[in-house]
Amino acid sequence: MAQQSQQLNEEQIKALQEKLKNMSPEELKEFQKKQCIFCQIISGSVQSRKIYEDEHVLAVLDINPANPGHILVMPRDHYSIMPQIPVEEIEHLFLVTKMLSNASLRALEVQGSNIIVANGVAAGQRAQHFMIHLIPRKENDKLEFEVPQKTLSEQELQKIQEMLSENLGKKIEEKERPMPVQLMPKRKEIVEAEFEEKPKEKTKPITKKPIKKSVKEPEIKSSKKSKQKTAKKQSKNNEANLDDIAKMLGAK
Amino acid sequence: MTTRESCLLCQIVANRIPSYKVYEDELTLAVLDVNGGNPGHCFVIPKNHYPILEQIPDHELGNHFVVANKISSAIFETLKAQGTNIFVRNGIPAGQQVAHFMINVVPRKENDGINLQWKPRQLSEEEMSTVELKLKEQVKGRGIQKTQKTQTAKSQEAPKPELVTDDEDDYFMRQIRRMP
Repeated sequence: MAQQSQQLNEEQIKALQEKLKNMSPEELKEFQKKQCIFCQIISGSVQSRKIYEDEHVLAVLDINPANPGHILVMPRDHYSIMPQIPVEEIEHLFLVTKMLSNASLRALEVQGSNIIVANGVAAGQRAQHFMIHLIPRKENDKLEFEVPQKTLSEQELQKIQEMLSENLGKKIEEKERPMPVQLMPKRKEIVEAEFEEKPKEKTKPITKKPIKKSVKEPEIKSSKKSKQKTAKKQSKNNEANLDDIAKMLGAK
Repeated sequence: MTTRESCLLCQIVANRIPSYKVYEDELTLAVLDVNGGNPGHCFVIPKNHYPILEQIPDHELGNHFVVANKISSAIFETLKAQGTNIFVRNGIPAGQQVAHFMINVVPRKENDGINLQWKPRQLSEEEMSTVELKLKEQVKGRGIQKTQKTQTAKSQEAPKPELVTDDEDDYFMRQIRRMP
């Protein structure tokens, strides 16, 4: 991150802004990539502790983890926020995340994990490269994420439901409207239903062609019996472990 | 489709408990959280009952997160949010409270009282290397295969939720109480 601490004088900033203005979208993308520390990690010019990689995804250990084993799962292509990412790539990213969560349950003697994605500075995003945080969790690890509960009126909930479902293409019929759920007396300090007006973050429609998923065959197929044995053992471990965790939650 | 009588979210999926639904497809349901962190806070749940992430089959998993992304985009567009969080609590130490996997999609604006930050820790080189090796050992040979979501989603024509009766009424709550 040494480059970022360099101070630019006003003239340089102006020149840079001028340069950015005149760039084509392709050039701009290239420029962004050069400036992005995570693109440099992906290209290998900055060192990292890689846990998993394939054609589209790289997963590395966070150098300043929330807990030991904190993993960043990133697409190799540079996207700033999730709405820019093509559907196939989102699916792939989270399949990798699930696999890694499973691996950390078994490898690190943890009993859970948090997955956190931040879109936008207001959401706590710090890097300009989209990433999924996978944080292994143990009892009493002193990590705490707070989402305080707010109470909304029925009208507000209905209004938001209408706005969202309309945007998402599902009209809620009158009869489907839920009955009042809240039996507690409502508090006065009700939160505003809408956020302040802010310049809309336009996300470009996804025009990228579907990418081919890397089909990395699990090694079990290619190599022979000895591997199969360990694989069997592994999956057994795996099941036992998952069972315990699910059991804590009340599954059979 | 498997649902559980004792599971609150399965009851919502089966329409036995009213909810503010915003999106629904064959595999996934998205509902407004009535006590959300911000107006527009939604949770995205699999229609099938899976307590934790690792139990969700690959062909379903992608869809749930794609839906979460759709909701997040809709929140940006309609509620003029300044940001969104996609947040999963997987397992009790991670803060999970209901035994049904759930993805939270939370609209964000500055100083809204939500804290999903953490204190960055500095581990020794040795600790980092140990963790790296242990994880790599488990990841070895686990390629991620292409999903075949569309096929599986279409092949079952809206199956009727079939109720798996739990003998023990509130097993989950008792489990929680048993926790230290």
